[in-house]
This record gives sequence, structure tokens and C-alpha cells, in this order.
Amino acid sequence: MIRWIILLGILGLLSLVISVSIGREVSFTDALSVLWYHTTFSYGSPPDPISDRIVWSLRLPRALLAIIVGGGLGIIGVAMQTLVRNPLAEPYILGISSGATAGASLFYLGFLPPLISKGLSMPIASFIGGLCAIAIVYSVAGSRGRISVTRLLLAGVAVASLMGALTSFITLSSPEPDKLRSVLFWLLGSFHLAQWSSLMWPAIAVTIGLIILMILSRPLDGMLTGDESAHSLGVAVESVKRILIVLASFVTGSIVAASGAIGFVGLIVPHAVRSFTGVTHRKVLPASFIGGAIFLLWADMLARSILPDAQLPVGIVTALCGVPFFLILLHRKQHSFG
Amino acid sequence: MPFRLLCLFFLALIGCSSDLDGERSVVDGLGRTLKIPTKIQRVAPLAPSITDLLFASGAGSTIAGVSTVDDHTPELDSLPRYSLIPMDLEAIVALDLDLIIASEQVNTLRDADAFEALGIPMYFVFIDSLSDIAQSIRKLGHLLGTSEIANNRANELEDSLSLLKSLTETTTDRADLLFLIEHTTLYAFGDGSYIHDMIDLAGGYSLTQDISTRFPILTDEFVLTSQPEVIAGTFGSQINSSKILEAHPSWDIVPAVRSGRIYGFDNANYQRPGPRLVRGAWDLAEKLHPDIVKPHD
Repeated sequence: MIRWIILLGILGLLSLVISVSIGREVSFTDALSVLWYHTTFSYGSPPDPISDRIVWSLRLPRALLAIIVGGGLGIIGVAMQTLVRNPLAEPYILGISSGATAGASLFYLGFLPPLISKGLSMPIASFIGGLCAIAIVYSVAGSRGRISVTRLLLAGVAVASLMGALTSFITLSSPEPDKLRSVLFWLLGSFHLAQWSSLMWPAIAVTIGLIILMILSRPLDGMLTGDESAHSLGVAVESVKRILIVLASFVTGSIVAASGAIGFVGLIVPHAVRSFTGVTHRKVLPASFIGGAIFLLWADMLARSILPDAQLPVGIVTALCGVPFFLILLHRKQHSFG
Repeated sequence: MPFRLLCLFFLALIGCSSDLDGERSVVDGLGRTLKIPTKIQRVAPLAPSITDLLFASGAGSTIAGVSTVDDHTPELDSLPRYSLIPMDLEAIVALDLDLIIASEQVNTLRDADAFEALGIPMYFVFIDSLSDIAQSIRKLGHLLGTSEIANNRANELEDSLSLLKSLTETTTDRADLLFLIEHTTLYAFGDGSYIHDMIDLAGGYSLTQDISTRFPILTDEFVLTSQPEVIAGTFGSQINSSKILEAHPSWDIVPAVRSGRIYGFDNANYQRPGPRLVRGAWDLAEKLHPDIVKPHD
């Protein structure tokens, strides 16, 4: 297993270097020399300042945000799928992302004043929005301690639509109409505004998420066998479920505030990863983190290069990959693990 | 039953003949031929730029209502308002109009179909260069029976543009200029936009004139490699280098940011293709060449 993680790690690092080095404006070798100069603490001759800004100040924070967001969505996908014991769950499908988007839009478009600081208010609004959405979905889908998959998916669709309508309402009635153009791009999920300074909050949130989920990896393994079996194994099932819901909203909220709602990463990645790690969370979680990061790095590279004179929001690329994947999973009769 | 049919036939005949008598054919800015009443008394503009063009062509008194985003006060204060996004069809139809005048930039042929199904013809104005402004004013004047005023105003605008051209055309100091619609997400004007005419007339060189997309979203990489000497845009007069750097920290090596040549303007003079663009061109020229272009009234 360690071998797989190391291999994934190397693949992730390679993807990062390629992502930072590919682009129209700076050649591959120039980009590598910028990376070399900075990672060796200014060893050698300083690079051309334009290439330096493009690679070090634009592409690298953008790629790192893709890693943070992809990794975060990957592990939250795992958490959601364990919560409902079904591989069809993920934050986008269950409406958390839409709720987080609605919450963030309220702040972004000037309806909410900055409570603590500009950098923190949007993730908080986003977190609360996501929490409201998943609370509704989860309470509707659960009955006598059991989660109905059909109800879960339908409630997810309904709440996502409700939150989408709320976002549209907020957008159209914004007191700051000049921001509408920006919000449209952000709503579709994009890394185009990534800066070094915008990485801190999502990085902290995703790290907290990963640490808590790793600590909970044994109880999570127990929950895969069903609530009663988990109880008999000594897992405080209800407490773990509550933690998972709050954690999923917290991480997704922080991610959405930084990059908008990017769908289907949490669906594709854990599913792909489980095929070679098995279902043990101690393995699935780190592998899903790296897998999600790699997936979004490549998706963003595609989004940057698919149109000659413009960039696409990365959410379009992930949806184009994710929806067929979701439909294939849905078509299968069995929606359970292993 | 046959009697009813006969009545309907006669009614239709009366309607057709009166239409034939009171109608004329015109070709709009999109090359569409449409039938409009001979005498037009009530019109509704579907974009603030069209309102400006109507006033410039001397037909301001025919305006029966305006959009909620129009700001041509105080003439419009007493008029009914309607929403453009989404289009409030009911409010517009309730104005009892002879003609709707639309902008190719804002409205679509689907809007035209909707109004024409309700019996109101829709005339499109098309402006993609500065010279189209005076032409559009003349056409509207002809359309609405105010040719004399429209021709005079069109001539004034053309004279103003010619004067500006005479001041700037010999300058060799044509700064590479990046014109942005906003400074966070970098919406700009691409190939085929009137904005490049304005920049050229103001004595600058537009860096986005060869981008094939009509309204491209630029990347920071584009800005860093194109190294604009001036950044101008419709982000208000409060803009400065530090605000630009707050949104784009990597632009600290961009010449415009280093020299502080960042100019923010009122969006109406650049985003409303009508007579206000002339004012916009002069304002831009004043910033680019304060030595040769003095404040213009």
C-alpha cells in the first residue's frame, strides 16, 4: 500500500511540475528554470521577471489551489460515501456545494457585511450554507436510522435546485451589479483568481479535514459494515455521523469560497482509488487526497488550454467527466461497497 | 356561421387595407426588412445606448418608457420603467408602442420574434465602430421624422471626432493600452469592437484588437507578456496601482502599474455604443496626451 501512495505522490508531483510548466506564454524550459531558482533558494542566475511572475506568482498558486481543492473534495467524497454507505454520494450531488455557493454568493454580492475579515467571512457564509443544505438532505433521506438511497439522491437534487434558485435570486437582485460578470465565472468553479494569499484558508480547512478523517479512519471502517455492526464494534455511530456532516460542510464551504462549486471530483476519485486500495479508510483517504489533486490538476490544464483565446471554468471539465461516470454508476444495480 | 365568416373576412380586409396605407418598409442595422407605421409617435428603447441615440436624433419626445437601468435624467424621470433582464414584456407592451428600438449588443432576434408576435415591430441598431454612431443617429432621425435635428447632431459628433483625430494622429507616442471592462475577472473587448477605434483616436494602441473572441476573458499571463504601458477601464475613477496590485499581485512588473498610468472611467462613456463614446474618446485622449488634448466640453 505504501508503494501505491508513494507512486501516487510521485505522479502528483510530476503533474504539478507539468501543470506549472505548460502554457502559451512561457516555454517549458523557462518554467522549469523558474521552479529550480525558487526551490533551490535562489541558486543560479535569476529568471526573466515576466516568466518568474507567470510561473511563480500565477501558475504555482493556481496549481496548489487545484491540489488543495481536489484533495479536499476527494476526502470529503470518501466521508460522504461512508456516511450514507453508498458510492453515489459526494458534496455536489448531495447539495452541499450548492448550499455553500448560495451562502458565499450572499457575501460575494454584497448582501452580508464582512463579519471578521474579508478572507474569513466568505468561507463562514459558505460553510453555513453547505451545512443547511446537507442537514435538510440528510434529515429527509433518513428514516428509522436507515438512509434511503433514492430519497437521498432525490433530496440532493431538490435541495441543489433550491439552493441554485436562491443563488440566481441573489445574483439577479445584487446591490453590486458590476460584480455579476465575476460571479458567473466563479459560480461555475474556477481557479483563475488563485493567489498565494488565497491559499491559506482552504489549505487549513482541508488539512483539518484530512487529520480528523484519518483519526476517525477505524470508526469509519466500522461504519461501512452497517450501523448495528459498527455499534457492536464500539463505534459511536451518531456522533461520527454528526462530525462527518459538519466536517463535510466545513471543508466544502472553504473550498467553494476559494474556487466556486466544482462537481464530481468526490464521486470519481474515491471510486477509482478504492479499486486498488480496497475500502480501508487508512488507505483510501490519503490515496483519494492525492488522486483528487492529480485529477483537478489535469482538469485545470485542460480548462486552460481547450480554447485558443480564453479559459474555461474548470467545473465545466469536471462535469463533462463526472456526469457520464455518475450515470454509469447509477445504471449499475448494486450501489454498495466491495 | 357563413355570416360570421363574412364579417371576419371584411374585418380582415379593412385591417389589411389600413395597414397597407399606414405602413412602410425599412431595413434595420441587422439588414432585416420590417414594416413599421408611417408615423411613429411612441417608441421604447431596449438599451440605455438606444435612449442616448434617440435623444441625439431629436426623437426624445417619442420615448414612451425606458429601462430601469437608464440614467438620462431628468428627461426620463416621469416615464414608466421596465426591466430588461429578464425582459418585462407586459410592461413594454402596455406602453402601446408603434416601434421598439433594440441594440444588437443587448438584444436578440428571439426578443424581436416575441414582440413581433405581439404586433410590435423591433428595429435593431448595430454599432461596431465610431463612424456607425453618426450613421445610426441619421437613420433614427429619418425613421422617426426628425432628420434635421439628427443630421445636425451627427455632424457635430463627426466634427468632434475629426477634431480629436487632427490632434492625435501625428503623435508618435502611442502607448500600448489595455482596456478592461473590470479589473478582477479580466473581461475585455476583442476583435471588431468600437473600443479599438476609440483608443486609436485617443492616440493609443489597443492590445486586445487582434483577439478573435468578441468579449474575451484575459489571463494574467496575457497581461504580463503584453506589458501594457497604460491600463484603462470602466472601473470608476477611484482605481489606482495599489488596488490593481491587490487583485493581481504579480502585475508589479507591468509598466502601467509601475508608472501609475491606470485610468478608471464611468462605464456609460465606453460600454454604451452611442453619442457618449465620443465623450469617452476625448476623456481617454486627455489622459493619454494631456499636453495636446485639453479638457473638452
